[in-house]
Amino acid sequence: MSQPRSGAVVALAIFALVGAIFAAVSTADFVAFLDRQVHSVTCSFVPGLGAADTTGTSGCHAVLMSPYSAVFRASTWGGIPISLAALSVFAFLLFRAADLLIRRVAGDPDETRFLVAATLLPVLVSAVYLTIAVLRIGSLCKLCVGIYVASLGVFISAIVAHRGAARTAPRRSVPWGAYAVAFVEGVVFVAVPVLLYLALKPAYTSAMANCGDLIHPEDRYGVRVKLGGPAGGVPAIEVIDPLCPACKGFSERLAASGLGARLDPEIVLFPLDKECNWMVSESLHPGSCAVSEAVLCAGPQARDVLEWAFANQDKLREAGKDTKRVYDLIRQRFPELGGCLGRPAVKARLNRSLRWVVANSLPVQTPQLFVRGQKVCEEDTDLGLDFVLARLLDRPQPGGGAGR
Amino acid sequence: MKPNKAHLALFLVVLVLLSGMVAVWVHGAASRLADLQSSAKGPGTAVASASDKGYCTGALKQILRRVLTSCGLITGGSQRGCQPVQARSVAAMSGDDFNALFVPLADRAAIIQFDQDSAELDSGAIALLDKTFAAQRGASYFLVVSRASTEGALSYNRELSRKRAEAVLDHIRSKFSDPDLDQEVGLLWLGAEYAQLDKEFCQWQRSRPDEACTTAHLNRSAFIAWIDCRL
Repeated sequence: MSQPRSGAVVALAIFALVGAIFAAVSTADFVAFLDRQVHSVTCSFVPGLGAADTTGTSGCHAVLMSPYSAVFRASTWGGIPISLAALSVFAFLLFRAADLLIRRVAGDPDETRFLVAATLLPVLVSAVYLTIAVLRIGSLCKLCVGIYVASLGVFISAIVAHRGAARTAPRRSVPWGAYAVAFVEGVVFVAVPVLLYLALKPAYTSAMANCGDLIHPEDRYGVRVKLGGPAGGVPAIEVIDPLCPACKGFSERLAASGLGARLDPEIVLFPLDKECNWMVSESLHPGSCAVSEAVLCAGPQARDVLEWAFANQDKLREAGKDTKRVYDLIRQRFPELGGCLGRPAVKARLNRSLRWVVANSLPVQTPQLFVRGQKVCEEDTDLGLDFVLARLLDRPQPGGGAGR
Repeated sequence: MKPNKAHLALFLVVLVLLSGMVAVWVHGAASRLADLQSSAKGPGTAVASASDKGYCTGALKQILRRVLTSCGLITGGSQRGCQPVQARSVAAMSGDDFNALFVPLADRAAIIQFDQDSAELDSGAIALLDKTFAAQRGASYFLVVSRASTEGALSYNRELSRKRAEAVLDHIRSKFSDPDLDQEVGLLWLGAEYAQLDKEFCQWQRSRPDEACTTAHLNRSAFIAWIDCRL
């Protein structure tokens, strides 16, 4: 065993260990949310040293809560975290590298060829997830970047190790049987933790799903805004604040889940801005009263205004201390709403929207989703959304009525 | 590429470590969830409710309830509004004390002014009425207390103040399609015989801020205010 060859395998082991640490931290963060409570999220290139994200504003939080952080979300609450599979793969690579070093066969080209094949998986998955993070989520997570780098590191190390081994070793037939055994070992490394995770994770009980119904679902105030859903879609009401980051994230998760397309959504505006909302002593999202007026003024174009507001939340919240500035920003983008904004009629309608929330004794928070009048629990609006929504949508509609 | 005992041992060690970590994390989450479910729920998120400001003392609420009940709001009876004699008896207080009830509402109230012998809302009155009514926020009740200046006969002034109150209500009804209107707007017409506004109210928001402010001008009016009290 020459020094450079074992050096590449040592490097592979180190990269695998680093990848395993990043994946382990990410998995631990994900698993913590199985208790259906709110947790901070680790977001650092050096896990354990950086400050955790307690506000939910980091890229790590956005990625963790995105529909891409787990698979089989509609089948089990929260799904199976993709980082758990990553942890298993890095642990397997660490095991393979350590095994080669202990058995002193780091220069065996049959062994290093398998390493190249095995490290191809994380590097390909990392490439796919990097693309998703940039193009779909629009945020990069530091832990994920650590995993991407480690994936690339193990792959390059494996290639270097194999090139060194292949250069000196005589040609011989490929040991398919040994590769099959090694492959099965890899499968066991992934399957055992995943099965353990599924076996131990908390069960979702019917009691957990019961978060109440709307007391007065009727729209006697005429405040619900239709967003336009498919014909025959399941009636749903979203209580939202157009400048609330959680509402934006929720809207994106709903769209990405694919289940949102089966809903016939209406929104009720509930701006958490003391400018118009007497239920908050401080404006959590300054400017959201003015933006809510714009949504009400827009009528059939409400969805356009809402999407614009979601896309420009930071800018609008920053301007929010001065309502006139928010009105100006709205008028720049939607000049046709200028004659409606700030008028008593729309202010009164927005007030009735808040009173609809009062009439239903809803909690002072956003977002809230009601499907056929039944509330989707707050704890189920992030990781558990796909699972809970799929169950609600597949449930037969009682009496065939609207049930809003 | 033959595995040996060391290989197998290493395989098991790494797999057990990996599985152990996963088991500890998941079990921890399950335990926390079980604890949460078994423990009594603490104070949760605030529930949306109508306003109940600090000035809504027990005494004020009691009087407000009596006024609103007798004036047809709470019971939803056929009667709409209170006449001066009724207002005085249900309030069971002097005119000055009655007016003093509204002092804490200074920033929620406005005085809609009329021409002499008129119950017609001018543009300034409409603008102030719209602005004030639209600023409901969390208030549950909107009071319209109309008056007349002391010129003219008692019965004429009663009738004139009734028309002024109804002009305000009619405008609100036509401008704002509010399904709760009949449960939230209370009318009291006082003519010129009870609880006349004194000059202190000149400082309040009026629909004719540039007009001279005499007691006669002040009382040719409908005093409007949102009441942020839950009864």
